[in-house]
Amino acid sequence: MFDFKVAEEPRKEAPSGGLYDYIIIGAGPAGLSSAIYAARDGMKVLVLEKEVVGGLAATTELIENYPGFPEGIAGEELMERMRKQAERFGTEIVEFDEVTKVEPVKKGLIRVHTAEGETYEGKVVLLATGSQPKHLGIPGEEEFYGRGVSYCATCDGPLYKGKRVVVIGCGNSGLQEGQNLLNYASEVTFIEFLDHSPAEKILQERVMNHPKATCYFNSQVVEIKGDEKVTAVVFKDRATGELKEIPADGVFIYVGYKPDTEFVKDLVELNRWGYIKTDEKMRTKVEGVLAAGDVRADNLAQVTVAVSDGCKAAMTTREYLAELKSEA
Amino acid sequence: MALLNDEIRGQVAEMLAGLPNKVKLVTFTQPENCPYCDLIVELMQEVAGTSPQVTSEVYDFTVHKDKVAEYKIDKAPATAIVGAKDYGMRFFGIPANYEFGTLLHGIQLAGHGHALELDEATKGFLASLEKPVHIQVFVTPTCPYCPRAATLAFEMATASDLVRADVIEAQEFMELSNAYNVMGVPLNVINDKERVEGAAPAYMIVEAIKKSI
Ligand SMILES: Cc1cc2nc3c(=O)[nH]c(=O)nc-3n(C[C@H](O)[C@H](O)[C@H](O)COP(=O)(O)OP(=O)(O)OC[C@H]3O[C@@H](n4cnc5c(N)ncnc54)[C@H](O)[C@@H]3O)c2cc1C
Repeated sequence: MFDFKVAEEPRKEAPSGGLYDYIIIGAGPAGLSSAIYAARDGMKVLVLEKEVVGGLAATTELIENYPGFPEGIAGEELMERMRKQAERFGTEIVEFDEVTKVEPVKKGLIRVHTAEGETYEGKVVLLATGSQPKHLGIPGEEEFYGRGVSYCATCDGPLYKGKRVVVIGCGNSGLQEGQNLLNYASEVTFIEFLDHSPAEKILQERVMNHPKATCYFNSQVVEIKGDEKVTAVVFKDRATGELKEIPADGVFIYVGYKPDTEFVKDLVELNRWGYIKTDEKMRTKVEGVLAAGDVRADNLAQVTVAVSDGCKAAMTTREYLAELKSEA
Repeated sequence: MALLNDEIRGQVAEMLAGLPNKVKLVTFTQPENCPYCDLIVELMQEVAGTSPQVTSEVYDFTVHKDKVAEYKIDKAPATAIVGAKDYGMRFFGIPANYEFGTLLHGIQLAGHGHALELDEATKGFLASLEKPVHIQVFVTPTCPYCPRAATLAFEMATASDLVRADVIEAQEFMELSNAYNVMGVPLNVINDKERVEGAAPAYMIVEAIKKSI
């Protein structure tokens, strides 16, 4: 049930500074895979991360479809391994510093500004900022965040032992994390807007037939109620318009993701949902600025895809650096 | 069966080799309502077994009142991580999974006797404290962000004699967790007043400390 392992000590040395070959924004699978390729190739690489290394992938209990791990692997462990691999080749990583602006100065020089007031300079910049869980924007959601409303079942699931929880959203994420909640909670109620679950069949079978699970489809959650903490969820049957209220101690929200691209919306070209458009080489419309992973338009939100994008971006960077050198 | 396999034992030994000061792991168990007490004792003994600088002592919370008072323990299971002096680092519950790293970090701090990762501004602020500060960090073993919050609290405790840092495994202290409405982790509670949700950077904890005093 428990395990004991030694995580790498967080690196706290200040970054070496100077002109980087490659600055990567976001330390999820896309950013780290790109760092592994680039650093191993001898580039001077900096990764800037606003929170902690790992990205969304680190918040999932078990990843079962990433090749090479027949038993599956904990998201955090996979990401810790990617981090070690990147650092082994000399990648510098800064955590807890959010990039607020990317400023192309001239060919071969891009400045990256952060919330802590730092400025870094690189020849190429990769936007690998992934996405954030979407909020529903319904009454009670903000108010009870941390008091029953959660976006991370892996983190908070154990607090709901023997309690009643509601999972909003029956897509892959909702069902996968709901499966984890079924280990703790006494009842798990799934509420889905569509009239069916868009999730993988294997997840549907595991979750929907579970004796502790109840599912409502074609239903829209309209309010999360509570006093000190969450007490109930109110939803509307979309066919009949009837309102139902079910008692709940916790509400886990998995209603999709939105890209983290606010800070570059005036720089690169976005599609109507805010995802970054690139060509097949991961190049945006701005010279020297690339994008990879979940943040890229028309991409599949999967670790394998993010990792593949990261590799391509590193290759493009290598080509571009060679071009800069030949022009100099 | 040993809790730590050979590989992990080797890594722990390497991390704890050459600590300048001796470290005592003072564990308090209780005979009832403690499903993990045996595990915790075994874990502390195995960790102590990796380094000549680290020792483990075990007391019964319901019996050894003098020790309970000496280490200001108000609930069990608890482990005080004590170096050349008592810096005020406590772990309540089992430091398993991600939290095992928090325990090791605490031992390193106690063994060095000074903060290892705090920036100058935070150290300066802590040095200027005049009143006691009690930081409680609620965690779960499966929460990837929790060790950040927990080790930061331990760093602060090491940096100032006025700071006491309790890391609490929320599932084992459900009543307390309910009393504080812990519905998400990590949760920092400062001087029983200020709440900071999530793994916050040091300056946010400093702000919350300022507000609380
Ligand atoms: C619950 C859940 C379960 C999942 N299960 C699976 C699965 O089983 N298999 C699978 O293949 N995929 C799964 N996924 C999807 C997978 O996690 C993502 O596809 C993958 O993490 C995308 O990687 P990324 O590097 O593009 O972005 P992310 O992992 O989102 O990483 C982006 C990083 O950028 C950082 N960032 C954002 N903005 C800034 C900024 N301005 N400055 C600095 N840093 C910034 C973020 O903090 C984040 O760490 C799951 C996702 C979730 C949420």
